[in-house]
Amino acid sequence: MYRGRIWLYFSNIFHQLLLVFVLLVMVAYLSSASPFFFTWNNFRNIFDHSSLYIILALGITFVIAAGGIDLSVGAVAALSGVCMAVAMHSGLSVGLSILSGICSGAFMGMAGGTVIFLFKINPFIVTLGFMSLSRGLALIVTGGIPIYGFPKSFTWWGSGHIGPFNPPMLLAAFLIVVAAVMLNFTRFGYYTLALGGNEEALRRSGVSIFLYKVLVYTLCGVTAAIGGLIVTARLNTAEPLAGWMLELDTIAAVVLGGTSMKGGRGTIVGTVIACFLLGILRNGLVILSIPSYYQQLLIGIIILAAVIFAEVRARKGLLGFNKK
Amino acid sequence: MFGCAQKKDGSQKSPYLRLKKIKKSFGHIVALEGIDLDIYPAEVMALVGDNGAGKSTLIKIISGVLAPDSGEISLNGTSYRHLTPSKAVELGISTVYQDLALVDCRDTASNIFLGKEPLKAWFFVDKQKMIKESEALLKKLKVAIPSVTTPVEDLSGGQRQGVAVARSIMQQGRMLIFDEPTAAMGVNEANRILKLIRNLGDEGFAVVVISHNLHHVFSIADRICVMRNGRLMVDCRTENTNLEQIVGFITGPPQLTKTHTEKELMPGCGEDAGNVQRQDMVIF
Amino acid sequence: MKKKKQRVAVFLLLSIAVFAAACSPSPAPAPVEEGKNNLVSADAAQEQKGAKEAGPAYAMNPKAYAMEQALMDQLMPLPDLHKGERIGALIITLANPFWVAMKEGYERAGAEMGVEVVVMAAPTEGDTKSQLETLDAMVAKGYAAIIASPIEPFNLVPGVVRANKRGIKVINLGPPINKEALKDARGWLDGRITVNFEEQGALAAEYIVQKLGPAGGKVAIIQGIPGAGQSEGRTAGAKGVFENTKNVEIVSIQPGNWDRNTAYNLASNILQAHPDLKGIFCANDVMALGVVEALQAANKKNDVVVAGVDFIDEARESIQRGELDGTVAMSPFLLFPRSGATSRW
Repeated sequence: MYRGRIWLYFSNIFHQLLLVFVLLVMVAYLSSASPFFFTWNNFRNIFDHSSLYIILALGITFVIAAGGIDLSVGAVAALSGVCMAVAMHSGLSVGLSILSGICSGAFMGMAGGTVIFLFKINPFIVTLGFMSLSRGLALIVTGGIPIYGFPKSFTWWGSGHIGPFNPPMLLAAFLIVVAAVMLNFTRFGYYTLALGGNEEALRRSGVSIFLYKVLVYTLCGVTAAIGGLIVTARLNTAEPLAGWMLELDTIAAVVLGGTSMKGGRGTIVGTVIACFLLGILRNGLVILSIPSYYQQLLIGIIILAAVIFAEVRARKGLLGFNKK
Repeated sequence: MFGCAQKKDGSQKSPYLRLKKIKKSFGHIVALEGIDLDIYPAEVMALVGDNGAGKSTLIKIISGVLAPDSGEISLNGTSYRHLTPSKAVELGISTVYQDLALVDCRDTASNIFLGKEPLKAWFFVDKQKMIKESEALLKKLKVAIPSVTTPVEDLSGGQRQGVAVARSIMQQGRMLIFDEPTAAMGVNEANRILKLIRNLGDEGFAVVVISHNLHHVFSIADRICVMRNGRLMVDCRTENTNLEQIVGFITGPPQLTKTHTEKELMPGCGEDAGNVQRQDMVIF
Repeated sequence: MKKKKQRVAVFLLLSIAVFAAACSPSPAPAPVEEGKNNLVSADAAQEQKGAKEAGPAYAMNPKAYAMEQALMDQLMPLPDLHKGERIGALIITLANPFWVAMKEGYERAGAEMGVEVVVMAAPTEGDTKSQLETLDAMVAKGYAAIIASPIEPFNLVPGVVRANKRGIKVINLGPPINKEALKDARGWLDGRITVNFEEQGALAAEYIVQKLGPAGGKVAIIQGIPGAGQSEGRTAGAKGVFENTKNVEIVSIQPGNWDRNTAYNLASNILQAHPDLKGIFCANDVMALGVVEALQAANKKNDVVVAGVDFIDEARESIQRGELDGTVAMSPFLLFPRSGATSRW
């Protein structure tokens, strides 16, 4: 019944290995199908596009691992972008403007987490409310009209160059490392997973559920705000409707990566691989000139397959441990 | 009064926890009518009684979940009017609940150290230390687990109980309360847990076990306390009583026989005992 | 009967004042008008810039002014205005700058004419159901007339029928309501000013083709939300022009969902597959501006011609900066910013 540690390790990352395999098959196929796919420029594109999804998905990974959900990230990204734009246009320095935007994201996350804890309401409903609330605020502040025209030092965050890379990619890479360390090697990560696994156990162990729950949602708000920074800087425009449906794309990536919707299990590596997989799929279908109706269809099929696979594996012990 | 508790002779140790005249009622219903009870380290004490006898209320008062109406709780020479759950944990009183409250998807070491993770470099959890200390602790408790990096959900019921106990100890538990530890368990599992509880007593912990299974109680307890209708009826050493007697105390008016236990019940209870005897009831 | 017609004419005029750039001559009673589209490109913008400094904004486009004048003459004499009458206007969404400008136009025109105009909108560009519910609520409130711009041809049909039953005049402005479906449901429109989306797409495409010159090249189309009237119409128009031009090849048609970031990603992906791409038509300006950002990030701005539709403020400024190449405008209110044009009404 109990196999060795190596087998255990392999079994834990089996889901991710499978994703890597699918990803490699896709890369191989697309490379053979189009001469434009396997080029540095194209991969630079994929990294660039995926970086936004990755940053938002990192925050959502924590929330889902903690047994919650956050539907407000797209709207919070838009709101914080609008905050930055308003701050800059009112004469604040670029640094302070970015800070104000990130603070607004953190605040929305913190408020959401507090409501979820205090009133013991399902996070799905609470964050749905915050999604609408943030979107509404962004629309009110802008009056429905995008705010555009920012200093070069701001747009650099979206379209600057650092060697062969650009700031969003490096920001994403940095945040991946930070998130992975936080989830796997700090008390915050331990308690995040324990929150999702068994909140009561954590409470009885004398850990403040309130503190950690609010921290998890705040973190998600911060990553959403960083996403807002990238979208706003890249497009040189703060749109109230930026990041439309982004929450669903990122939640899909997180679940596809192997983080359990039931909570208690979270994987940063899986999230990142899944974001790349979806990024390559979007890129590849365009390169092959396949209309993106099929893209939606394919992404749907892949997510369903991944979730069903993970569930069956957990229940029947397929290539994993036998569960009681 | 049908019975009262007295500190038994032959014990030189000072009690870990001492309850004095604990009373508690819920509205008109009197749950506890003045309980005096000492709990000693390095001893397994079984608390038995029928449903509604007041065992759970008493345990909740000890673990700080409920506050008594009157009476006092003394611990390490300090008296408390009542305890709170966090105060109880701080004082080393730890309850192993039936549901165990384990984080199933996390590994054994993480569960044992939940809330008390050692840190290195201010920030990072010292996993190596956790693994080493968990292994040592489980070995001391004689709980066999394939690897402390195994998720708890892959362990058997007995092993899980072992992990829960280890966590209680890791959280500075010196007095462990087990609420029905063998309920709904197979024979082998139950035996393993009983062995674990016996071990804890031998290791110097103060152990309180609530159980309906008197065979289990007799196989591990040093001392048996019988509660009935909110009173502590009998408090005696296991070797001085037998199954029939205890069943008698649990289910009906006390049968006072010429046992050592009975002498311990003296002298304050003599009158009551006489009264009861005259009632001439047979219980078994 | 005469009075009724006149009232319809007032509402129509209100709509036209906001919406139509110009109109082909047609009899004033039972009016069904089609707004003409103007192409605005970098060259025109230069012209406009100069004109702005010179005098009133509308002075610089005499053709449009003349057409507007002709329209006004047809409708003259204006029927008596019913002061204090309430009119409802249902637009698509206040989350799109184009429609925000439209709302301002309505309110301004209403103030000029002494009529209270209440503008309502769906929460988002794709929320067809909410738009219908909003229409139903407006019908219940009993406005004298409702000017409706549907998200897609069919979503407002039941609401229009309910308005008909309560005797509320319904005027269809902008995106068309499907006439057959309305007829099947026993409903009717009291007036109709629609935009020819195909023509908008065709105009923009012709501009791109003209810019490419005889050498032609590869072009791409970025649609809005698939199925939306504007998106499908503009795509069809542009597609027709591209397909009928020698040497021009459509290499990709992708839905950008009216979203700037999606358009940005699509454009950079399409450029990977077709590095020699010469032109991109976007079904609205917001997406076209996203494409411009993507081209600038890829240092390809000078190689690719980008055209959009709507002529929002941001697009105008982008054209003035020489970034966006062209856009199609359909509203004088937008073409002649705020002050100048409205004084005419």
